[in-house]
Amino acid sequence: MNTTLRIGLFLTLLVCASHTMEAQTAVIVNRSVPASSMGLKELLDIYTLNKAHWDDGSRITVFDLKRGKTKEAFYEYIDMSEEDLQRIWLRKQFTGKARPPRSISNEEELIDMVSRTPGAIGYVTERNIPKKSNVRIVARVKQR
Amino acid sequence: MKTTVSIIIAFLFLCTSAQLRAQSDETSLFGSLQLIFFNQKSHMMFTQVPPGENPQLNEERSSFAIQQMDLFLQKHIGEDFTAFVDLEYQLNYSSEHRWGSFSIQEAWLHYALSDEFGFKIGMLYPAFNNLNEIKNRLALLPYIFRPGIYERLLSRLFLSEDYLPERAFVQLHGGIPLGEVFFDYAVYTGNAEGSYISHPDENGAPVNDHNSNFEFITGVDPTEFNLKLFGGRIGIRARDEQFKAGVSLTHDYDNLRDTTRYPQIYEGPRAPLRGDARRMRLGGDVSGRVGPVRFEAEAIKVFYDYDAAERIGVDLDLDFFYAMAGYSFTDALFVYGSYEGGSAVFGERWTHRTVTGGAAYQINDFVTAKAQYIVYKQFLDESLHIDEATIRFVFLGLSLVL
Repeated sequence: MNTTLRIGLFLTLLVCASHTMEAQTAVIVNRSVPASSMGLKELLDIYTLNKAHWDDGSRITVFDLKRGKTKEAFYEYIDMSEEDLQRIWLRKQFTGKARPPRSISNEEELIDMVSRTPGAIGYVTERNIPKKSNVRIVARVKQR
Repeated sequence: MKTTVSIIIAFLFLCTSAQLRAQSDETSLFGSLQLIFFNQKSHMMFTQVPPGENPQLNEERSSFAIQQMDLFLQKHIGEDFTAFVDLEYQLNYSSEHRWGSFSIQEAWLHYALSDEFGFKIGMLYPAFNNLNEIKNRLALLPYIFRPGIYERLLSRLFLSEDYLPERAFVQLHGGIPLGEVFFDYAVYTGNAEGSYISHPDENGAPVNDHNSNFEFITGVDPTEFNLKLFGGRIGIRARDEQFKAGVSLTHDYDNLRDTTRYPQIYEGPRAPLRGDARRMRLGGDVSGRVGPVRFEAEAIKVFYDYDAAERIGVDLDLDFFYAMAGYSFTDALFVYGSYEGGSAVFGERWTHRTVTGGAAYQINDFVTAKAQYIVYKQFLDESLHIDEATIRFVFLGLSLVL
């Protein structure tokens, strides 16, 4: 194997490795939700609790992760800090406008909650979603 | 023995079924609590004192207190209904010692036809400027001592209902998405102001002003007005909630017979004013955040349209404003300064100015430590013949999310 081929193979492996390391955050909904894809504004409205109902009138139940890179990537995508969202959620809770999202410790539990709750939405690392589950991916966000 | 066992089994069954019912109903209980220590120093100069008495008065006091605790009950009923109750305890409330007060501040049912339109029915804080809706949600505010007309520790100086619609009973409202913002709207109606409903007579007993037909129930509107309180607010709010501005307006009648009013106007040359004065309250608010800088400001102007006052040449109008700007040094530490002021007339013009500086440090998601220094100045209060009063407060407090 000549040197050029070796370098080429090394670079190919490097690109593949970096690609697999770059996890993707997926926004998931319960299969009862009447939406196949979602844009940034809609996600922002849902996580600021300004949108409380799906198009068919059913109530939206929002799940959030307690911590981690998936959470950081999602918050960065909707361009909100944790502090700002906490402040918005507390105001809406204290004025009776909405209930704050339920915070879940790990992604497996969040997927389980979304799959079992009609009208639910959450976000997880895409590779953690089991192939057979009652959730649908409606948006994708790349983690850095 | 059999009877005892049966009673225990029945009791356990009831407890279990009640618990199951509560879980399925998803009733949430949460709240806020603020504990304070304060030091107050007052200095007053009187223009008219009896011979031999000191024209100056100096006072100082310090105390610990439970400033306020609010317990909220919230229940979602089906897809569209939400019930909400706010129970409020103030100032070390104890019915045994007759300390503080306990009240239902809000109790309403909300129906959301959509995210753009809903209505509330019940006793509620109506939409007026920014702070009115959250004036008693102390855990949401960086302040211990709220802007004057919202601060209940100053209720002798500012009767909130003179500036704000304190309660309404029906409100239609919503937020319509328009590009990068929401267009917020709200219209509401309710009873005439609270002081119509019950105020103390000369012996301290509560009386209703007008209509004796309602003696058999309390707390209802006794006035003969068909058009009582009407009001609304329109505004814009950024989609990410980092900016908000609006204009508010109410129309109602002010009960100038109210003996709890300050300054009092039911005696002397102002006696002809004892009646129902038509008034409009106009408010403007702006609040937001740019990076680490946070700001909020409100202005309120109260206009009266009252023939009796015009006839004797008395201007009844009121005004109030406040502005706050602060800086978040970290996610947890917020430092701010504020300036507020205004004037009240009622035939005896007096003005007030307040400067405050404070900090709020969020220890965790549920506990915030607060500190605030306040200088309140009041000028030319003819009713008490005070030339100038200066009150300095130092507040230290803990605000808890329950």
